[in-house]
Amino acid sequence: MQSFFAYQSPQSEAAFAGAAARFFELLKTFAAQPPGVPGQPTDWTSFGATLAGQFEQWLRSAPAAGAAFAAAAGLPPGAGTWPPGPVPLGPAAAMGADATAWELLMKLGQLQGQLAQHWSEIASSAAQLFLARMRTRPSAELSSESALALYELWVECAEEAYAATVRREDFSHLQAQLTNTAMALLLAQRRQAESLARAWGLPTREEADALQRQIRELREELDRRAARPSQGTAPQAAPARSRRASKGGAKGGAKGGAKGGAKGGATGAGRRRRGAARSKPR
Amino acid sequence: MSVPGAGASSPFSDLGVRVAETLARLRLAGGVTVGCSARRAVWSRGKTTLYRYDPITEPIRGARPLLVCFALVNRPYILDLQPDTSLLRRLLASGRSVYLLEWGDPDEGDRLQDLNDYLEHGLGGCMQHLLGTHSLDAIDLMGVCQGGVFTLCYSALHPTQVANLVTLTTAVDFQTSGDLLSKWVRELDTQLLERMGNVPGELLNALFLSLLPFRLMQQKYVRLLTGRADQRAVEDFVRMERWIFDSPPQAATALAQFVRWFYQENRLVRGTLELGGRVVDLKAVRQPLLNLYASADHIVPPAACEAMGRLIGSRDYTAAAIDTGHIGMYVSRKAREEIPQRIIAWLEARSGGRARRGA
Repeated sequence: MQSFFAYQSPQSEAAFAGAAARFFELLKTFAAQPPGVPGQPTDWTSFGATLAGQFEQWLRSAPAAGAAFAAAAGLPPGAGTWPPGPVPLGPAAAMGADATAWELLMKLGQLQGQLAQHWSEIASSAAQLFLARMRTRPSAELSSESALALYELWVECAEEAYAATVRREDFSHLQAQLTNTAMALLLAQRRQAESLARAWGLPTREEADALQRQIRELREELDRRAARPSQGTAPQAAPARSRRASKGGAKGGAKGGAKGGAKGGATGAGRRRRGAARSKPR
Repeated sequence: MSVPGAGASSPFSDLGVRVAETLARLRLAGGVTVGCSARRAVWSRGKTTLYRYDPITEPIRGARPLLVCFALVNRPYILDLQPDTSLLRRLLASGRSVYLLEWGDPDEGDRLQDLNDYLEHGLGGCMQHLLGTHSLDAIDLMGVCQGGVFTLCYSALHPTQVANLVTLTTAVDFQTSGDLLSKWVRELDTQLLERMGNVPGELLNALFLSLLPFRLMQQKYVRLLTGRADQRAVEDFVRMERWIFDSPPQAATALAQFVRWFYQENRLVRGTLELGGRVVDLKAVRQPLLNLYASADHIVPPAACEAMGRLIGSRDYTAAAIDTGHIGMYVSRKAREEIPQRIIAWLEARSGGRARRGA
């Protein structure tokens, strides 16, 4: 079944290419700084804003669970401004969102804005940390190896600044609110789609859930019957399918007797797959 | 793939060469395979399958079989990724029968599957099958990460079936101060989460990556690209990448229960966890227990694992922190030697004289 979530994990090649591109962009930023006076620390002050800007942009585009929920609800990733502009509403787009959905959408946009403020704060704080540590270093000509060392220092500062913010209660609270609101919005959109489906006589999620619950209850009943100690007679009024499944369950335990039978592969799928041919290394 | 900013005129042109060479090796590494040991399915129920790994050495007569139970949130082939890092292979080389439980991918029809289903029908089904097949009252059990939590619960509920228990990177206290994941999910509305349906693996990946975003989404790639990695190192890296991004979806109900009961309510520590109507009392875990965890774990902090010692009822408890991170527990050079050695020696010391080399 198609997932409602639109979030895609990064493809490896794209991840490498992206990391390489950002790395060299950062190195170019390092290299673009005016050379310092020999024997004196380089003045990196003008460098801070560029560095923070690059980092903030990346933070906004990096995957995060809350953002993934928001994206699934139709809010563009990294949307940090309010109002966010025209927003696709997924399945509800054709019929228009009801008041609840709009309220949730507005709230989601506001929360995204608050999240963007945190990204901005983290980026700025990372750049300040980096600059402070750079000032304590003697000036040296930028080579590949020193650039790599600078990069490692930058990563250290970035993670430190990130951790300082994301470990705070207000960030955790915001993260949860963002995810909860995005989920609530998705469910509101789903309700709209459900009402339309019901009007058209189409099966709904609600009906599918009800059926699943019934199947689950039946399975539990089968398990209970299969687990009962043998009383010498077949379970009374057990439908044919149940009897077959119970038999399969008894077999499934191999030498486990009744104990094994109780748990041992009561399903047809289990019987089919049992003793399957050796699987090849993947 | 072009490398912006790394042209011949750039002061970093040699870095550009390194990156270009590594990218070429990466393209060659695109076809690497994962999983290296032969195995066969011996039991299944629903999406859960139990595999037996083919012996690779003379078996130890009388040694109890070892069942390995992995987490729901990742795939267990990390334990058998490639011959030189395979934990399962090392365990097989000790002459034991090794079994692995694979949970499979839940589809939307499994969204109501709950933790008790996984525990009793999945893990319990495997246990019953093995106890029957080997005509034993108890076998050895090893749980990894979230799978370790399941094995602890199972051992508490069915203490007579588990002879020895090994846990790897297994949290017990889900509310320790350094647990960022716990902080983030503390206010999550689990009722909404459950109603949303199954959660795709990609979403959990995003959550895990966002714990250390710059290191996990930038630095590790830059280090590989600029580190003069040879073809083999690049292939090892690609295998790991494949595993990291190959996460199964999560059944809605089970995930919501796990977040609520473990992370939000910390029931395992409080002694209030109930599964299938029975209280999971960790004091009932009285079998010998080996608890291995990573000292630099950003997903399961050491303190979350260390709590196990004061909560279980076992008098034979051994805990050891391995000097690595969460993933390093399965693939790092240090761990690949130390962990199997510790497990094998610990199990052999507790075989009660049953185990003898030679069929």
